Amino acid sequence: MALARSARPSGELWPPLVFLGVLAALPLLVGDAYWLGILIVSMYFALLAVGWNLLAGYTGQFSMAPAAFAMIGAYATGLLARDLHTAPWIGIPAAVAAAGLVGMALGRVVMRLSGPYLALTTLSFAEILRLVIGNSYEYTRGDLGLGVPGLFEGRLPYYYLFLGALLAVQLGVFLLLRSRAGLFLRAIRDDEVAAASRGVDVVFWKTAAFTLSTAISGLAGALYGHFSQLVSPELGLISQTGLVISMVVIGGMGSLLGPLAGAFLVYLGSEVLREVGGIQLIVFALLVILFARFFREGLIGLARRALARRGA
Amino acid sequence: MLNLDLFINGLLIGLFYALMAVGLTLIFGILKIVNFAHGEFYMLGAYAYTLAAQKLGVSPLLALPLAIAAGALIGWITERLLMRPLYSGYSSWGLMRDEYAVVVTFAFSLLLVNLVDKVIGPYPSRGPPLLNLPKLILGPVILPGPKLIAGGVGLVVIGGLALFLRSSLWGKQIQAVAQNRLGATLAGIDTARASSLVFTVSGALAALSGALLAPIINASPDVGAFPAIKSYVIVVLGGMGSMPGSIVASLALGVLESFGAVYISYDYRDTFGLVILVLVLLLRPHGLFGEKGRVV
Repeated sequence: MALARSARPSGELWPPLVFLGVLAALPLLVGDAYWLGILIVSMYFALLAVGWNLLAGYTGQFSMAPAAFAMIGAYATGLLARDLHTAPWIGIPAAVAAAGLVGMALGRVVMRLSGPYLALTTLSFAEILRLVIGNSYEYTRGDLGLGVPGLFEGRLPYYYLFLGALLAVQLGVFLLLRSRAGLFLRAIRDDEVAAASRGVDVVFWKTAAFTLSTAISGLAGALYGHFSQLVSPELGLISQTGLVISMVVIGGMGSLLGPLAGAFLVYLGSEVLREVGGIQLIVFALLVILFARFFREGLIGLARRALARRGA
Repeated sequence: MLNLDLFINGLLIGLFYALMAVGLTLIFGILKIVNFAHGEFYMLGAYAYTLAAQKLGVSPLLALPLAIAAGALIGWITERLLMRPLYSGYSSWGLMRDEYAVVVTFAFSLLLVNLVDKVIGPYPSRGPPLLNLPKLILGPVILPGPKLIAGGVGLVVIGGLALFLRSSLWGKQIQAVAQNRLGATLAGIDTARASSLVFTVSGALAALSGALLAPIINASPDVGAFPAIKSYVIVVLGGMGSMPGSIVASLALGVLESFGAVYISYDYRDTFGLVILVLVLLLRPHGLFGEKGRVV
């Protein structure tokens, strides 16, 4: 059993690179600000999905708080800019560090345990953080939202900023998974006890993966804050986390291309379904249940199987 | 004397929390998974009660059993459609069952919230009071009617449930499956039926607690979020899967919140649970009554 799962390839780099290459060329075809905006938000979600997949798909740990950590990142850079007048090039790394540090603290508490504790704790954390930010009106302006300075005029520079971030994160994740650390993470996913018995420091690596994943969420949130120029507690809604999980599960967990493709499919789909009558979350929740039940490898797995059949 | 009032009111809330959380404990006991749609069972109970009373015009005393039935049905359906693969015939699920359970129950919770939002609408609606019970004033202790009903029903139902688990054949079967699923199967116990029963009971109890609070809270699609979080805190604090543990934990959380809301902060009363959760995980990760984890 464990062998069969480990034999699943960790993913090759060329499919995501081709995907990102197509994205780089897309503004030549799509000049429309509306569509550029949609693609930018898709890339925001893709960053969250890649971060979540690093944790869930490769380490087997389930966080319910990617959206909450994005919210931390967005508020961190927003509050720094408002109160200390820091420049975005300080604010964004600070936001990454803030989200990562909170993640590390939470990870140190939870990761000593195995089982559903991470999911329970992160879900409680996400909801309560949203409540606290919404209630702390004096500092955060509560539900009215906090203004964040913009970075550029027009949407095209943002587009390439997000693309650059996505490329960097994707490369980082690829290199990490190819290294010894990646091997440890997958060993932990497949069998925690066996990994520990072979000398893998399970608690350390689980915490490290969670910290990294939350830092990626923080980066995504900070960039999104500067792009939308307004952050509110809605950024951390549990339904946003639901979208991220849908993207990874539908695209294909534990692969490099899956979360990327899933993020674009689900976000574009949700824009279409919103027009139809706001049924996007109903459709995606149903799809997640169906995929988890019947197509565990996601669309990537289905595509791979179809290709293998044609080759045979 | 304010303290005595806070203490008694806290205990009443705690009894009610126990009613809310005990279904989650039962499910964890028997399947070793957390049902992330638990809060939505509660939400459906609140809606079933409110809508039956408002739209069908039935008396609140009849609406309450209807809500319980709705909860039992949704619990039964959940187990039937989503949980069966965890233990029937999929041998390769051993390693992946946690991921499956988390993803599927979480997606199911999103599905229920958004379906209700779409079908009934996002606007909150308030249910009629079950009985017009006046405030009970015992010296310094003031007990509002709805709270008294919720606490009282909690006490009776939890007592009944404990009796059922202890003495009835089905209750003993549930305990046996919780202790050792394989062993219970070998002893001839229908483990699938026991799991089905636990989900049905869990859905009914969550719906009952939602219906009892419907006159106080406003039923809205996302009303289950905080009750669910409180139930998670209770389940962890009590020791995952321990019935007596979760009852003690519920009472403790009720009393703590009651004092905290007055002495610390009313606006942030819902955050105390998270603080407790983190403290438990730091200091006593197996909870008050849980057994220390042992991996074989």
